[in-house]
Amino acid sequence: MTERLAKKVLLIGWDAADWKIINPLLDQGPMPALEHLINHGVIGNLATLRPILSPMLWNSIATGKRPDKHGILGFIEPDPDNGTIRPVTSTSRKVKALWNICTQSGLRSHVLGWFAGRPAEPINGVSISPLYAEPVAPLDQPWPLTPSSIHPAALGETLAPFRIHPGQLTPAEILPFIPRAAEVDQEKDQHLASLARILAENCSLHNAATWILENEPWDFMAVYYNGIDHFCHAFMNFHPPRLNHVPEKEFELYKDVVNGAYKFHDMMLERLLQLAGPEATVLLLSDHGFHSDHLRPRYMPKAGPGPAVGHRPIGVICMAGAHLRQNERIYGANLLDITPTVLTLLGLPVAEDMDGRVLVEAFEEPPKIEKIPSWEDVPGECGMHPANLRMDPVSAQAMLQQFVALGYIQAPNEDQAKAVENCVREAQYNLAQVYLDSHRPGDALPILEQLTKEKPEEIRFTLHLGQCYLDLSRLTEARATLETLVQRGGQPWADWLLGLVHLEENSLDKALSHLSRAAEAEPRLPDLHLRLGNTYLRMRRLEEAEQAFQKALAIDSDSPEAHLGLAQLRLRRRQNREASEEALAAVGLRHFLPMGHYCLGVALGRMNHLERAELAFRTALSMAPGLLNAHRWLVAIYRRTGADLVTIANHQRAIAELQERRVRATGAA
Amino acid sequence: MMQMLAAGGLTPLTDDLRVSDANNPRGYFEWEKIKQLPNEPDCIAEAEGKVVKVVSALLRNVPSGYEYRVIFMTRSLEEVVASQRQMIKQLGASGPSMQDAVMVAAFETHLRQVAAWLEAHPEIAVCWVEHGSLLKATHVEVTRVQEFLKFPFDVEEMARQVDPSLYRQRIPIQAAAAAV
Repeated sequence: MTERLAKKVLLIGWDAADWKIINPLLDQGPMPALEHLINHGVIGNLATLRPILSPMLWNSIATGKRPDKHGILGFIEPDPDNGTIRPVTSTSRKVKALWNICTQSGLRSHVLGWFAGRPAEPINGVSISPLYAEPVAPLDQPWPLTPSSIHPAALGETLAPFRIHPGQLTPAEILPFIPRAAEVDQEKDQHLASLARILAENCSLHNAATWILENEPWDFMAVYYNGIDHFCHAFMNFHPPRLNHVPEKEFELYKDVVNGAYKFHDMMLERLLQLAGPEATVLLLSDHGFHSDHLRPRYMPKAGPGPAVGHRPIGVICMAGAHLRQNERIYGANLLDITPTVLTLLGLPVAEDMDGRVLVEAFEEPPKIEKIPSWEDVPGECGMHPANLRMDPVSAQAMLQQFVALGYIQAPNEDQAKAVENCVREAQYNLAQVYLDSHRPGDALPILEQLTKEKPEEIRFTLHLGQCYLDLSRLTEARATLETLVQRGGQPWADWLLGLVHLEENSLDKALSHLSRAAEAEPRLPDLHLRLGNTYLRMRRLEEAEQAFQKALAIDSDSPEAHLGLAQLRLRRRQNREASEEALAAVGLRHFLPMGHYCLGVALGRMNHLERAELAFRTALSMAPGLLNAHRWLVAIYRRTGADLVTIANHQRAIAELQERRVRATGAA
Repeated sequence: MMQMLAAGGLTPLTDDLRVSDANNPRGYFEWEKIKQLPNEPDCIAEAEGKVVKVVSALLRNVPSGYEYRVIFMTRSLEEVVASQRQMIKQLGASGPSMQDAVMVAAFETHLRQVAAWLEAHPEIAVCWVEHGSLLKATHVEVTRVQEFLKFPFDVEEMARQVDPSLYRQRIPIQAAAAAV
């Protein structure tokens, strides 16, 4: 075991928290607890994963693994016990979460409210599923604890009375959010009921958290609050400035709710920090942000995970505690990095099969990182459910389908069967997006081909299939797939992707035509301006490229691609210092951006900062080993710095192989 | 097994709705109503004093208040999946599009779950009978079943029901060894 840097680690999840709301509030002063944390620690953006769906993301945060490894692929899953669907369960998670690793390592941990938390896992500590707080009956009726919502079950009697029912809330709790609540016509308008429910659920979990902090010993504790996300889904439309389609009266009623939600969370944070004590290391983070400006979607698509349209791909991270830097910013953090970082804080090894990295830049001194191949292979009690309770729900559903086909069991009714079918299909679609997001289009392809075959009318499946072909450089198939959508008309996304296909084919004029058409139809999409910028860049129309990238940044100042485009543009103009700043901004927003690290390397190399340039090129190559010019730069740098000949030879060999591959590919084409 | 138990003297609960076919030329001994077990657990009352065939997926739905004796038939899951695939094909039904290996893994987990459930319900007596053993050591297995049920079977008659020609889904030797 390496040195333990944190006596205790408190991980606080604020679903959908976003700097765009937090920063103005910090300036005005009503978030003192968070401000204290920020002043004593490091902050940064936390890049999310796609698809931006909270159950998948929070399980990636807790495992350090992408959803294809941890197995939580959406909000719901088939229920093999009754042939219907149910919220995702802890028995479907295939790998160990932080609290399991802690249990296995003899540490005491508690977890509250985490997605896929039911049944509560038998860890060394307290595990409370989100169902603990869910009101299942009106106020005047009994409200028993949902079975399996608390481990150890014996604590149920103690913790049940801490739950708050929405019906118990009084004007004193409601009015800070909606000062004119008395004017709400509750017969027609359900917003007040939504607010009460969100508030009550979060208070219940918070109460349980404070009781645990006061009464139970702990090494690691994870508390998840869904409040900000739920408040944003219900009330972000009313957040200032008023959107044109929002009636004045409703705007006036509900305009303070989102800010109120953040202030409320800050009050809860203050209590957690008090109870955790100064010796605790605190990580506060969100899985994604939430559009709060002109990018707010007017309509939520009904199909699939529609509400996720409002999610912004950048979350927040704030870390404070012993051995961590103070009042500093970190760049390039990804939510996959949380588990490796927490393990390092606790002096536990990081596993090589985890997809994230330790956020070393957050530490005062680079921490010693011990590695093991996998925590999954480490034997011993880890507090996961026994194997006989764990089962991949999709396979379980297939087994039931088999029994139905054989006539052994009764077929579910039509509605149930359809619900299960849709659930399995969405899970497959999400899995395909995970593969695309992690640059594995070959794994996504069979899934998307099957989905498109089953549901040709689902445009999103066809669009992703087109994107998949594009990522695989199967440009003819990509073009054919996307052209059918473009011919249907009204599909700016298809125009956008087709523009990218033409870019790949070097048909820059055609690319420009499609991208421009997409921009006209959907001018708010930042990526369109990015692609236009890249097209202009390739056409050496640098002025127009700059305009396009600036337009993209005006829409979303946190767009890593826009900063990357500007970095490339500055490099073309030999503005190396500016190029390095833009490249740093780009990789700060998204660490996994090989071209960003490459551009940074070029700019630094040209400015003779060879050591930092080398690091940038090595980082780029660790993400994209086929970056030929990065190898060339490294050879040049190593020759100048007198590195060992073996290293130089390795890169020269890589260059030769890549060149040969290119020649072969050209020949094959 | 149903055939054997019937030959031995037990009364099978069956509705004869599912007639014999190429998959099972000697009949199915099925009782359609048992599929209602999750919604109508009391239907089991009709099986009292008789023997009824229940698929493992429904076993956990049997209501308390009865004395059960479960003869749990197991078989190499590779064979089960291959056999079921064949049956689904012949029935003209549409089964899942999962690979056999995935289905086998799902069945393995399912069986572990059912076994754990049975273990947690000691009031339900279980006799595990492996399909291959029944074919190879018929007398031994039949005697074991007789002792389990405490029923004066005609063991010879029961043993005569075993027809190895119906054992068609043999897996290759390597796969069998791996399955062991």
